Amino acid sequence: MNSSNNSSIFSEKLKTVIEKELTRYETKRSAILPICHAIQDECGWVQEKHIDALEKEYSLNRIQVKEVLTFYKAYKQSEPKKFEIEFCDNIVCCMMGAKDAMAKIEELIEKQGVNSEFGLKGVPCLGVCDQAPAMLVNKDRHHKITNENVEKVLSRYSSTI
Amino acid sequence: MSETINFKIDGQSVSVPKGTTVMQAAYQMKIKIPHFCWHPGLSVAGVCRFCLVKVEGRPKLEIACNLQASEGMEILTDTPEVKEAHKWALEFHLVNHPLDCPICDQAGECGLQNYYMEVGKYQSQMERPKVLKPKALDVGGDLVLDTERCILCSRCVRFEKEVTKSEALGIFDRGDHAIIGTYPGKKIEHKYTTNLVDICPVGAFTSKDFRFKQRVWFLKDKQSVCPGCSTGCSIDLFAKEQTGTYYRIKPREGESNGYWMCDTGRGMYRHLNIETRQRFHYVSKNGQKIDIDQKESLNQLASKIKEVGPEHVSLLVSAQYTNEEYEAFFDFFVGKLGVKKVYQWREPTEKLNDFDGILLRGDRNSNTHGLMATLKKYGVGNQKIGNEFDIAVSSAAKVVIALVPEIPATFPSLQSNLQTLVSLNFVSFWTVNSEIEKIKGAKHVVPVKGFSEKKGSFTNHFGKLGHLTSPFVSVIEGINCVASTTRKLSEYF
Amino acid sequence: MGNTSDKIKIITKYEGMPNSRSLDTYLSKGGYEGLKKSFSMQPAQIIEEVKASGLRGRGGAGFPTGLKWSFVPQNIQGPKYLICNNDEGEPGTFKDRYIAELSPHMIVEGMIIAAKAIGACKGYIYTRYEFFEEIKWLEAAIQEAYKAGFLGKNILGSGFDFDLDHYTGAGAYICGEETGLISSLEGKKGQPKLKPPFPAVSGYLGRPTVVNNTETFAAVPWIMINGAAAHKAIGTEKSAGTKLFSISGAIKRPGVYELPLGYSFERFLNDDCGGMIEGRSLKACIPGGASAPILTPEELKGLTMDYEAIAAKGSMLGSGAVMIIDDRMSMVELMKVIADFYHHESCGQCTPCREGTGWLANIMGGIYHKEGQKGDVDKLWTVAKAMEGRTICALSDAAAMPTKAITKKFGDELRAFIERGAGA
Repeated sequence: MNSSNNSSIFSEKLKTVIEKELTRYETKRSAILPICHAIQDECGWVQEKHIDALEKEYSLNRIQVKEVLTFYKAYKQSEPKKFEIEFCDNIVCCMMGAKDAMAKIEELIEKQGVNSEFGLKGVPCLGVCDQAPAMLVNKDRHHKITNENVEKVLSRYSSTI
Repeated sequence: MSETINFKIDGQSVSVPKGTTVMQAAYQMKIKIPHFCWHPGLSVAGVCRFCLVKVEGRPKLEIACNLQASEGMEILTDTPEVKEAHKWALEFHLVNHPLDCPICDQAGECGLQNYYMEVGKYQSQMERPKVLKPKALDVGGDLVLDTERCILCSRCVRFEKEVTKSEALGIFDRGDHAIIGTYPGKKIEHKYTTNLVDICPVGAFTSKDFRFKQRVWFLKDKQSVCPGCSTGCSIDLFAKEQTGTYYRIKPREGESNGYWMCDTGRGMYRHLNIETRQRFHYVSKNGQKIDIDQKESLNQLASKIKEVGPEHVSLLVSAQYTNEEYEAFFDFFVGKLGVKKVYQWREPTEKLNDFDGILLRGDRNSNTHGLMATLKKYGVGNQKIGNEFDIAVSSAAKVVIALVPEIPATFPSLQSNLQTLVSLNFVSFWTVNSEIEKIKGAKHVVPVKGFSEKKGSFTNHFGKLGHLTSPFVSVIEGINCVASTTRKLSEYF
Repeated sequence: MGNTSDKIKIITKYEGMPNSRSLDTYLSKGGYEGLKKSFSMQPAQIIEEVKASGLRGRGGAGFPTGLKWSFVPQNIQGPKYLICNNDEGEPGTFKDRYIAELSPHMIVEGMIIAAKAIGACKGYIYTRYEFFEEIKWLEAAIQEAYKAGFLGKNILGSGFDFDLDHYTGAGAYICGEETGLISSLEGKKGQPKLKPPFPAVSGYLGRPTVVNNTETFAAVPWIMINGAAAHKAIGTEKSAGTKLFSISGAIKRPGVYELPLGYSFERFLNDDCGGMIEGRSLKACIPGGASAPILTPEELKGLTMDYEAIAAKGSMLGSGAVMIIDDRMSMVELMKVIADFYHHESCGQCTPCREGTGWLANIMGGIYHKEGQKGDVDKLWTVAKAMEGRTICALSDAAAMPTKAITKKFGDELRAFIERGAGA
């Protein structure tokens, strides 16, 4: 494989980030997490081809990269939908109505026929229990989500489809 | 001189150098502390949490593998508290294990099974469905991987990292979904794969070569030395004694090999089996092969030697026989008869100084150094290691006694060399393997014992002796080693 | 944020101020004065001062901070590292996020002082991935501090060099464990490391490393300025200083409150937080994050909020995350959430934790889905008991402790549920 710069599968912007991260820490290995974040931010998720390229172009060990990608739950294991809803289903959010709100979201997604655009899953505590129930839609954090107000919150996203 | 630490394990006094762990000390003392993840040849992982012991005066149980022995320390390994901890440690290991022992090759030498007999609860607490994971994966080399049987001790991962430095294995995901494996689509490519089968304390890694062939409890194992190269790894050789069938070789802890051996060495049992062995003495007359008994065979050889005289006899010697055999052989032919022409028979394509950085050497002979030492002692032959086959052939001796390389797998040119020798005047082939049978017209053939059937020693690359101490009985009736054959021959002079 | 007007403000000093995150605001009320003070002291003096202040680690374990710093070898060659554990993941905890939102410079200042004390050349703030905004604020504060000469080479002309960077986690509770965090910072799976050796001797990249919680660092500048004695005078004899409490659940005014340790729980709940939401009554309280054993209303009577008093009740102050459970919450659901959480978060390294957390979740799943068996509650307790004190880190204990407490204190509710389920 030609590993010259112009054949890279990474964009110029991403290459700049990767190269910066590789020298930012004491060891190259420390850059694996930040680089995976950067790839995911731009490409949606880190795919096999990215892991291949990281090994070929930047000598990052593929086993080490794969271990990181599967250990940490921030990394998506498949192509994400346009809007990924991560709803906290931990103690306080549960107590304050998370399950109902999640059921409502499922119902709304179904009703509006936006299954292909919205993903929903429960995640551990998001660290905003005073604003429970809380959820993330991609990187936006929303607080005090109930089955009454959830439709309005989601309309912000569904209206952009 | 390093500082010595004196402490006690179960009341037994132990003295070890400072820095030794309790587990290492127990291992040296042959005191059993149950463990899965600890292995003497690998770094400490401390993850199976099985080797918990009580340190007198300390509140919590501690793992012996990461516990440095200190002066006056008293370790207890069998208090009720420790026993209870061991039971639970084992129970946790069994939570997601498939318990498919009836179809598992590891059965009989499985850590889970063995420990269950010793410390088990005999009443599993786990009644809920188990986590399912991929099974029967071909991950390269000699390996088949069953990730469901895996107890995630990480020995294999550490082996890959620390011994072969290939880092071909990882543990992916986390929690009880953690799964061992290669990178998807990639295989383990080094020459040490079967060590993973050995160090796997359960049946997660099994050997393709050994898979489903034999229950281990039908096999007898004996200590031996690997004849596959000049490293001379200490090994255990496994055979079914009744049928004389050899099944596998495993490394045994030894000075030259530590705890490991290469995959090439693992195959060094195959030529020992009857199908590939030279079983009978024979001579050829007018192109006809005639089987004869040993007495007649040696009688004829003696007559032939007497007929031409020792000055017309040459010896063509491979480096795959024991020191004791060389001694007897040269003592008679050189010392008693006065044969002068002695030639080394080595693989012409060998790369003598090759070394893979772990164990396997380019010198694929078990006893190059022993042969050289004997040559020196008798003041014959070339004092430098090197193949003299062509010189031997062109020297046109009337009688050649050829000690044929025992292991065809280590000697790619064996067939073509034999072909050349058969065309000479008179060559007496002393051989373990039956390669000569593939060629018509050998004038004289003498079967001899393989390395598993005799006592003796090899001198390895470092000049250290490796001893063959416990031979299996040969299934070939009346067969002798080179030394006895020589002594019997000498009776006709 | 909370109604804490009558209490001393150490960490929440900038509460209510506009642009509280900016360097200018921070400097306007004595920011970086603690740093200047510490630069007039010897490293050993700083450590002594922190020791004498009685400051204890605010992440959960409550280990004396000065003592932890003193374990770092002073006169050795090569780099030493300092890490701020901002991976706040203990369910119910949101105080460190609040500090990053309010006064990120206080964290930076505390770290520089600590770096000076232990002789660290490089520091990292490790923040959980989901704090997207907070990470930006922390990175901005680091940049501001560099520009103002508080970070980098020859800080304030003292000859002391210290670099600080930020590192973002990726979704793993276990990285809140200090050696798990170190593994993560090394670009590995966040699996805790075997101890000994301890991080103070062999931590990040095998070098001496101190990891402290965000709140711990934030308390340090105040101690430098006001002195150890002033800090020691706040709180109780053994639990000195103030503590941030993240309180949430069925109460009127959830939030982060800075209280002197030893504060009355009842006063906190009823006065500061306004009591229970109308129509709900107190069923139980988890006083220190998900891993802290649950306390019944009976046990909460007369309780004070300090390490010793809560420990005396068989629970722990932990991260100061107080979760108020009301009567509408089923203990089956609570236990299931807790079991699922630890099952999801076990790193998988040590067998008792990997298999034990899965086992607990498995049993709870059965109960929850009405497939519970008669002995399940006892089995939960037995398995949890066997998971305790057996592993490299405390996650196994963190799963076991609340399980034991819930099955013991609310076992009848669980058993009744199982019986109803079986009958249904």
